[in-house]
Amino acid sequence: MLAASTTTLPLFLALSACAGPNPLAGPPPLSSDVRGLFDAVTDEQNLIWIYKRTMASYSAVAPALGALLAEHEAHLAQLRAMIVEPPGKTIPSTVTRKPAVPGTAATAVAQLRAAEQSATTAQLRRLARAAAPLAQLYASIAASEATHVSALTALAARSPGR
Amino acid sequence: MTATPTATAKQQPMQPVPALQAALAAEHTAVYGYGIAGALLTGGDRAAALADWRTHEQARDTLEAMIVKLGATPVAASPAYALPFTVNDARSARRLAAALEDGVTQAYLGLVAVSDTTLRTFGALAMQPPANRAAEWRGSTVAFPGMGALVPHGGLPAPHSPWAPHIPPAWHAGQLIRAGGPR
Repeated sequence: MLAASTTTLPLFLALSACAGPNPLAGPPPLSSDVRGLFDAVTDEQNLIWIYKRTMASYSAVAPALGALLAEHEAHLAQLRAMIVEPPGKTIPSTVTRKPAVPGTAATAVAQLRAAEQSATTAQLRRLARAAAPLAQLYASIAASEATHVSALTALAARSPGR
Repeated sequence: MTATPTATAKQQPMQPVPALQAALAAEHTAVYGYGIAGALLTGGDRAAALADWRTHEQARDTLEAMIVKLGATPVAASPAYALPFTVNDARSARRLAAALEDGVTQAYLGLVAVSDTTLRTFGALAMQPPANRAAEWRGSTVAFPGMGALVPHGGLPAPHSPWAPHIPPAWHAGQLIRAGGPR
């Protein structure tokens, strides 16, 4: 094997350029499909965080929200399952948006509704660049989130604090 | 009936006309099915069924125009369809309405697999109203509208990539209600 030195390194790099990926160039950039999946995972984690905080703050709406939360957890699990983790690495599980829980149940549900609407729009933005089966998953999750918007609209109408 | 992965990850991309024809066939089915469901419903449910029936007629006309614009002949409605279960009272009629909407949602999901991004977006947006109507008729939401069950996995990590997506097979529209005589 060649020892890395000022004389052998250029030759090594030249050969590497012909033979395949450069081992000294660091990891290759993430594909657009993986970047899209990471974004979708983050969005789901953010939604789940808001649901949990809202349910902890307003027990009266918790049963109704629990069913929707379970569907987001299913979305998250499915999105995570779509990513092959390299050895020793895990998919980031960071929540990037932590809005304050509003002062009434109705406004808290309205905040969830707005978050669901934004999530639907974000899923649709991912469609164009995604592989067809991933685009279908995003579209299905967007449709699920659209049903959540309707369910939350109905829930907000009968929640305390209107 | 649920969506089934009928192809492998190596298949050709979904073509626009067959995907549109599948959506049109689902709309034909919905128009027929709401005729049966509506006859067994009363009051607000009957009014909702009538509104949904008209919505599906409009969607059918839209799809027919899109298919003609692409130079193809739209699939015709069958004279009758075999129902997926016995429909003889209001409860089974509501269940049929939910099933019809599930079938339409699934058919539009097939459009999302085409490479044309305008049609993809059209399919994804067109999924949302029937998914909402299915939830209304069913009384509950589902996690993956149009998919019926969880997405299968079938992909392999790409070589030389530290992170890779699983790419499952595309989902194709399956007909919820078969063309043919009623049971």
